[in-house]
Amino acid sequence: MASIPAANGPARPRCPESSRGLPIRHPGDARPGCNLYGGTLSARNSVVVRLAGESGEGVISCGDILTQAAARGGYYTQTFRTFPAEIKGGPCMYQFRLSDEPIWSHGQDVDLLVCFNQEAWDLNWDSLGPEGVILYDSVEVTIPDEYLDRARPVRMDELAKEIGGSTRAKNMVAAGAITAVIDFDTTPIEELVLRRYAHKEGVADANIAALHAGAEESADLKGRYPLVPPVEVEEDRMLISGNQAIAVGAVAAGVNYFAGYPITPASDILEWLSVRLPQVGGLTIQCEDEIASLASVVGASYTGAKAMTATSGPGISLMNELIGYAGTAEIPVVIVDAQRGGPSTGLPTKTEQSDLNQALYGSHGEAPRVVIAPVSVEDCFYSIVDAFNYAEEFQVPVLLLTDQGLATRLEVIHRPDPEKLNIVQRKTSAGIAREDYKRYEYTESGVSPMGLPGEPNGMYVATGIEHDEYGHPGYTPEIHLGMQTKRLGKLEPIRETSRVATHGEAQPEDIAFIGFGSTFGPVREAVDRLAEQGLSVGAFYPRVLGPFPASRVETFVANAKRIIVPEVNYTGQLARLIKAETNINELESVAKCDGLPFTAEAIIDLAAQEVAA
Amino acid sequence: MSTRKPNDYKSELKPIWCPGCGDFGVLASLYRSMADMDLDPAKTVIVSGIGCSSRLPHFASTYGVHTLHGRPLPVAMGVKLANPDLTVIAVGGDGDGFAIGAGHFPHASRRNIDVTYLVMDNEIYGLTKGQASPTSLFEQKAPSTPFGNPEDPLNPLALAIAAGASFVARGASFNTKALTELITQAVEHKGFSYIDAMSPCTTFNNTQESWKDAVTDVAPDHDPTDRVKAFDLALRGGFSLGILYRQERTTQTERYKAILEQAKPSDVNVMLDGFNARKGAAIGKPA
Repeated sequence: MASIPAANGPARPRCPESSRGLPIRHPGDARPGCNLYGGTLSARNSVVVRLAGESGEGVISCGDILTQAAARGGYYTQTFRTFPAEIKGGPCMYQFRLSDEPIWSHGQDVDLLVCFNQEAWDLNWDSLGPEGVILYDSVEVTIPDEYLDRARPVRMDELAKEIGGSTRAKNMVAAGAITAVIDFDTTPIEELVLRRYAHKEGVADANIAALHAGAEESADLKGRYPLVPPVEVEEDRMLISGNQAIAVGAVAAGVNYFAGYPITPASDILEWLSVRLPQVGGLTIQCEDEIASLASVVGASYTGAKAMTATSGPGISLMNELIGYAGTAEIPVVIVDAQRGGPSTGLPTKTEQSDLNQALYGSHGEAPRVVIAPVSVEDCFYSIVDAFNYAEEFQVPVLLLTDQGLATRLEVIHRPDPEKLNIVQRKTSAGIAREDYKRYEYTESGVSPMGLPGEPNGMYVATGIEHDEYGHPGYTPEIHLGMQTKRLGKLEPIRETSRVATHGEAQPEDIAFIGFGSTFGPVREAVDRLAEQGLSVGAFYPRVLGPFPASRVETFVANAKRIIVPEVNYTGQLARLIKAETNINELESVAKCDGLPFTAEAIIDLAAQEVAA
Repeated sequence: MSTRKPNDYKSELKPIWCPGCGDFGVLASLYRSMADMDLDPAKTVIVSGIGCSSRLPHFASTYGVHTLHGRPLPVAMGVKLANPDLTVIAVGGDGDGFAIGAGHFPHASRRNIDVTYLVMDNEIYGLTKGQASPTSLFEQKAPSTPFGNPEDPLNPLALAIAAGASFVARGASFNTKALTELITQAVEHKGFSYIDAMSPCTTFNNTQESWKDAVTDVAPDHDPTDRVKAFDLALRGGFSLGILYRQERTTQTERYKAILEQAKPSDVNVMLDGFNARKGAAIGKPA
């Protein structure tokens, strides 16, 4: 085991600031030489491209169009973006990774860095991989001498002005230059340009001319950095973000009421459903705050609607009292939390997995809820269906935890088939005689039929006050214990039946990774690469964190020498949960608190470094 | 012709209010009004917050939602939007509606949610034993204002008119006949109808006698469609009983219905097509 090599050569010294987790690259790191002009690099099955510039320079739309074109060209892609929290100005970055095979992480070492301005270089040079090459604006950017052999100036501003009379098409010049270097067909890009500017005469032509000019600019590098072309497959694929997968998945699950309040990074869901829900007979409403949003969702669900809201950490903080209410009144609701950096206003545009505690334990008293964490964009679709199913079956609030990275990144996924989904509907009072009906009746499963307004025999008062089987206020020891047992006990079966994402060995002997949510991708990739080194490695990702599948986690780690728990937060919330819920006492908590997602390389380095230490 | 009697709307639970509490009069008026309108109990939802008066849904044999402190209005909105066939009546006290829940009141008003909001205003917190509320008077002494209330009271009727409520009225628990009639008109009104029901707390703020002396009926020549005059009436001192303001305006339910009617029908498969990225696939509509 002592011989695991790090992903990128020898382990780098740890930066003092990263003492909580991961090595971060810093200036002065030795890197092997790479000469852009000295022959062809070996063909890649994966390439990482990073575009950087000033917000407003077209960096994002350039990345979007290349990603879409690549997806339509048959490549798998995954994007990674950082946004300034401000509307206008500020540095922005768009990274995408392309491959002919499914991609599980956004990649760490940039193969092709495209700098629109000087700041783009200054902020992103250290992301460049050992064989990474640079395209930069010939006027705006100065590259240090030691990088010139791997850098190519592109007349982005100049050509854009020549062609279109302004620098507006600068990003298309850049896109063209990129296509030449990675030997990428420009046809799908042209199709997208034609569609995007179909209503603006001349604009599409200018953009396509800029694209060709850019490709011409780096024509001598054509094929220098070749990407393995995608395999022809007859398969339906989609390019979609986590937020979009949740929104369309909710429609597949039958959502017909959505209420929300704008918040980064969850607003996409509100906006997307505002257009689509009325098309399937449902309603989307923007409320005055997150409290009103969840309150109206509770009201809608009380009448029988499948109702949901979506927010981020600050909104969940406001919703906590209502989460306890919905749990106590046993009203199904679905709440999406696209986590961002906290606490307080925190880092609105950065990623973090720090709302786990709040999702599991938020609201006073001991309030029942189910907490789900999808592990990929594709899983966002299936997890929101699970969320509605749990809500309906158990009459309980369900929280779905994504994070900024997962919510906003685009990924190529296999198209889901809505026909194959199992959709659960709640048990109602229909058919029960009025004199026999008790809304909160003690049953074997703990779930009791729900009266829906309009049904003459199901009348009851939903309440958050402790109540007897009829819903009448009651505070005796028997009632309180009986009802807490009913509300919390009904969720127990989920521990054994919830879906789990696994990869590698089912009972690894060397390293067992346990995590939740979006870290699954990089961990999965790391598991494969560690396994190639002859290690017995596996990953176990509970999709439902509350109630926690404790005994299944214990079985998974039974033979493991090391248990590593990576998560993007400061205190190691999942590690603490595992220690609280299982018999596991020894584990390596890797809590990374930098607002950025894990990379596969970081996970591998970590495994290697611990051994070296 | 109504076939239901006020007693048909009583639940098996007896109110927990103190003897003489104004809320009894409001509840009696509500029973009578529901009987007058022959409301189907299975299609009626009474939504409340937290406080003495918010216990009311438990005393009615209709559907009910006893929500959280301050939250009856957004819950009621969700009920009505999700099932427009229901009659939705929100009830609560002045603390529930104008302190902790005040953030929702202007929005319910401007949205013209098709809900009746009946506030039992006793100018005090009763359930927590007599602290000052947002409608307590300046210099009023209470356990939380031992030196006299340093704050001026909020004027809920003026607030309702300013925020866009389309029906604004004042009634009193000690005048059940008129209050019954007001509730009926409010429920039958299309849109957000707000009734400020003066409902004295005989235990902590017994204003019963002084209020009886202070009330006057809204003048017969008052034009309730005149918003400026309604505002004037709301701002003036004293307690005018009756309808201060009434406006015909499309309701939230109607506006959403229009959105639904205009929407181009679709389904999840069409929506999934919007994200299509199959190799060589035709470029579809933007997702």
